[in-house]
Amino acid sequence: MLNTIANFFEYQFVTNAFAAALLISIAAAMVGTYIVARRLVFLSGGITHASFGGIGIGYYIGINPILGAAAFAVLAAFGVEALSQKMNVREDSAIGMLWSVGMAIGIFFIFLTPGYSPNLMTFLFGSILTVSSSDLILLLILNVVMVSFFIIFYKPILYLAFDSEFAKTQQIPVKTFSYILKGFIAITIVLSIRMVGIILLISMLTIPPTIANLFTKRFSSIIYISAVVGFVGAIGGLLISYNINVPSGATIIMVLVTIFAAAKLVKYIIIRTQLRGV
Amino acid sequence: MAKIIEIVSASAGYNNEIILKDINLEISDRDFVGIIGPNGGGKTTLLKLLLGELKPIKGKVKRCSKKPNESLFGYLPQNTNIDKQFPITVNEVVLSGLLGKKGVTGRYTKNDKQLALDVLQRIGITDLKNKPIGELSGGQLQRVLLSRALISNPRLLVLDEPNTYVDNRFEKELYELLKELNKEMAIVMVSHDMGTITSHVKTIACVNRTLHYHPSNKISNEQLAAYDCPIQVIAHGPIPHTILGEH
Repeated sequence: MLNTIANFFEYQFVTNAFAAALLISIAAAMVGTYIVARRLVFLSGGITHASFGGIGIGYYIGINPILGAAAFAVLAAFGVEALSQKMNVREDSAIGMLWSVGMAIGIFFIFLTPGYSPNLMTFLFGSILTVSSSDLILLLILNVVMVSFFIIFYKPILYLAFDSEFAKTQQIPVKTFSYILKGFIAITIVLSIRMVGIILLISMLTIPPTIANLFTKRFSSIIYISAVVGFVGAIGGLLISYNINVPSGATIIMVLVTIFAAAKLVKYIIIRTQLRGV
Repeated sequence: MAKIIEIVSASAGYNNEIILKDINLEISDRDFVGIIGPNGGGKTTLLKLLLGELKPIKGKVKRCSKKPNESLFGYLPQNTNIDKQFPITVNEVVLSGLLGKKGVTGRYTKNDKQLALDVLQRIGITDLKNKPIGELSGGQLQRVLLSRALISNPRLLVLDEPNTYVDNRFEKELYELLKELNKEMAIVMVSHDMGTITSHVKTIACVNRTLHYHPSNKISNEQLAAYDCPIQVIAHGPIPHTILGEH
């Protein structure tokens, strides 16, 4: 086993994959904690799937599909708000609509694109071993910007997520912060597509904070624990998938769910022992 | 008594729909105003106007700060909007009442943390300090939200139906506490419960699309009818009754 791991690291793409897993885990921890606490999981699912429309158009007109995905993700994030507030569509219906319209546009344009699209599966199911150096640089920039933002504006983020009505009475520019955070959600989603793909991405955002939330009720601690759990899940999944030769994205999610089940069991045992102690 | 806030012939609403038309209200130090009125009559809109969350379409809302850094409002919203599973501790919630003073990047100082301890002690929930809000009862959560409203030592305390979803014991304690607080600050309270309104407030504002100010806590059905404020019965006397309004 040790030998396999040593061999494994000889390749540049493996080192890249590890760096990507680390950076994505940190970004996903911040965004994931926010969306789980604020119950924006469904919205985030919608943004993720809508971005497929951008990938399809990217293929068709021959630009980098990730750029198309980014444009569609941001459009979807703000489109939901426009539909629900300006055009009086109920919010969850608006999310559902953009979710499937985005996918439909993606399928439509990929079908129209002549020839076979070899990387299509990469976007749907992820392929962290194909991460390039330029992807890493983008991820690094996103992390630097987001970590600084969360450190400087931790309080307004926490309090607008907890009780935005009260935050407004405390002169916090709630709207501006919500927009910025929505932008972060969209960009984090697009840059994480590489790792687990569109179909599995939402678990990468939601499972780590859910595990962390079992052991702490502090927003900041949930972010820290989520980053560690996300990284352990990503690396564990990667090693297992390499050894038994199965898709890495799906393995990462299975590892995270296993960690969740184990954590839940540990929590249950802790509570039982405490009850017996009383 | 010095004026804190004055609403002068203001109209307010959302998306071109006027909810409150041509209202006047003046609140001074040590006032205790009960706001009553039917659902949809504009009680919440009035609070938003007071708190500065909503700008009047017509007319003026004048705030009369004495000092530049003074905290004018403490606000206790209806706690139905609170997500009880949100990962946050009592202490963090209470400290957020200082955000208006601190600004978006401010750090809490030792002094701020002492203020939080003081207010928790005053409300009698020091032992809950480090608990996540998910472990609190309805009455305990309401105490925490009241502490958040009080930590900045405001001149005007604004309460939106503080007696919903709490037990009778807390309700009794709440009114005793409000009586005590009213010696230091003005209070504006929205309530559906006419019995408690008439036995605790000093004056009444009837809100139904417009505002009728009633400079006493005694109000009769005839007066309510004249104010176009369809709430049924009034209880006077020392024992607060619970009387349901029209449904």
